[in-house]
Amino acid sequence: MSDIVYEIKNIYKSYKKGKVVANNNICLDVHHGEILGLLGPNGAGKSTLVKQMVGQLKPSKGIISLYGLDVTKNAKNVSRLVGYYSQEPHSMASLSVEEAIYFTGRLRGMDLLDAKKRTKYWIDRLELGDVYKKTLKQISGGQRRLVGLGTTMVGEQPVLIFDEPTNELDPLKRKLVWDIIRERNRDEGATIILVTHNTFEAEHIVDRVGVINSGKLLAVGSVGELKKKVDQRLKIDLSISIGNREKAQKILIAWGYPVETIGENQLRLSVTREESSKYLQQIAEYMADLCCEEYKVVPPSLEDVYVHFGGKEEKVI
Amino acid sequence: MSKVVKEEKYVTVPMNLSFEGIEPKGLKAVRGILLELWYLSRIEFKNIRDSWVWSVLMISLFPIITISFLNFFMVNPTDQTITRLIIGTMVFPIILMGINTFAIELSMAKHSGHFVFYSSLPISKVNFILSKLISGFIMTLPSVIIMTFIGQFMFGITLHFSWIVLPIMALCIGCCVSLGMLIGFLSPNHQLTNLGSQSFMMLVSFLTPIMIPMEQLPKVLQMASYGIPTTYVAESFHILFTTGWESAVGINIAILLGFFLICLTLVLLKMDWRVEN
Repeated sequence: MSDIVYEIKNIYKSYKKGKVVANNNICLDVHHGEILGLLGPNGAGKSTLVKQMVGQLKPSKGIISLYGLDVTKNAKNVSRLVGYYSQEPHSMASLSVEEAIYFTGRLRGMDLLDAKKRTKYWIDRLELGDVYKKTLKQISGGQRRLVGLGTTMVGEQPVLIFDEPTNELDPLKRKLVWDIIRERNRDEGATIILVTHNTFEAEHIVDRVGVINSGKLLAVGSVGELKKKVDQRLKIDLSISIGNREKAQKILIAWGYPVETIGENQLRLSVTREESSKYLQQIAEYMADLCCEEYKVVPPSLEDVYVHFGGKEEKVI
Repeated sequence: MSKVVKEEKYVTVPMNLSFEGIEPKGLKAVRGILLELWYLSRIEFKNIRDSWVWSVLMISLFPIITISFLNFFMVNPTDQTITRLIIGTMVFPIILMGINTFAIELSMAKHSGHFVFYSSLPISKVNFILSKLISGFIMTLPSVIIMTFIGQFMFGITLHFSWIVLPIMALCIGCCVSLGMLIGFLSPNHQLTNLGSQSFMMLVSFLTPIMIPMEQLPKVLQMASYGIPTTYVAESFHILFTTGWESAVGINIAILLGFFLICLTLVLLKMDWRVEN
């Protein structure tokens, strides 16, 4: 039995008679029950790709199929299985929070009781209890984003696509959104595709990552696999007391350490795993001389993957 | 609403999902279509609820100003002329609301990405359009009624009311709203929509036989008028208000129905709202 939910085959999307290429020969499979993160700089072609995946944009070439069916030819049916959270403003601005979620549930075919129950659940889960009678015009931009999340979630589609779901949200609400996304995947087995810039937060929830730049899919794999493809050196970040950064830098250079300045009072050493223990030992020993207040070891992260592949055009799939 | 309810777990998504049987069939499908129309119309009502009174006032203002100007300007107009003027100002709000307002509203909605949400839902385009037509009817009807009374009061005449006016008005609103939707959806931006729809509105209002008899227009405009639904509305209203039902009204209703079906088909074909190229 195939576990492929989405099959994306040689997708090209161009505008202005081919002068602007938004997606260039993208091939990608999305598997059942996974969280796939799509990373890439602004204008890389991520949103164009997901718009084609939900049937809102026709590819110039290539085929996208959902459970074996051509998405472009079955756009209405795709919307029965896929919940899509876009970056566009919500269309139900005159409705109350409660009505927006409830009406969306009903329009997705939920029966009355079910829609009411789930509306109540999502209002509570998204912490919108204080504003549920207010219209979308009357609440903050962040709260509107949460309502958008509620309208995406209600209807309980098996596939969910989120385009920058944590934009405009404060750290607590961002955590809430990531928790909810993780829950839908873990507890209900929903397949999730996530477009985000927030690599730090996404790293903890995605199973696989696809890096897109200049319309090309440059790399795809698990976070671990992709990390292996980037610079394996560890980073040792040192916080130096105010006014002593130059002094510390001179000492480290005199020791022959590869040092770079990353902030007003912060220095970074990039070292191999083998060298790291020697370096750490020496730093610990000379902390006072270096005027070092604290130091930490940073392993390669998804951010490094993003930076590494974000600017290159080599295919390492 | 503040207490967090315990989530009732939904059935875990099976791996071998397919589209088979996903579309409702038979009675379930009919019920689904009606429910869909009900909720889409409710969304439309909620959208217009805050601005409804103001919209009616503003839409009525243009015909009130026009009819007042003509009242001051004309000396001893005949009953025939007065009837035409009143009918003209009754048709104005339909053109203003249907073509101008809807074109701009739809154009703005399209260009600010509001369709993205609707197109992510499994709703039919026909229902979406019907909900807009219902909203158009509700927004336009009060202004038409206001103009009927103001016109009669201003010129001191009494028009013979006929219930046939209502379906004719519905068909006219249907045609104008559909045309407005088409202009709004196909226009590259809403500034252009604004200019285009206003020019079209002025052309229909003053250069077709709405307020003036057909024979007073130049031949070119007479010919062009046959291609505009409001011509048949004004003609039918004139017959109904002056002499009552005649077979010509029946023919006009049939032509209006044809116009409405053509406009609706064009909207359905051209408003490719779910899949963009």
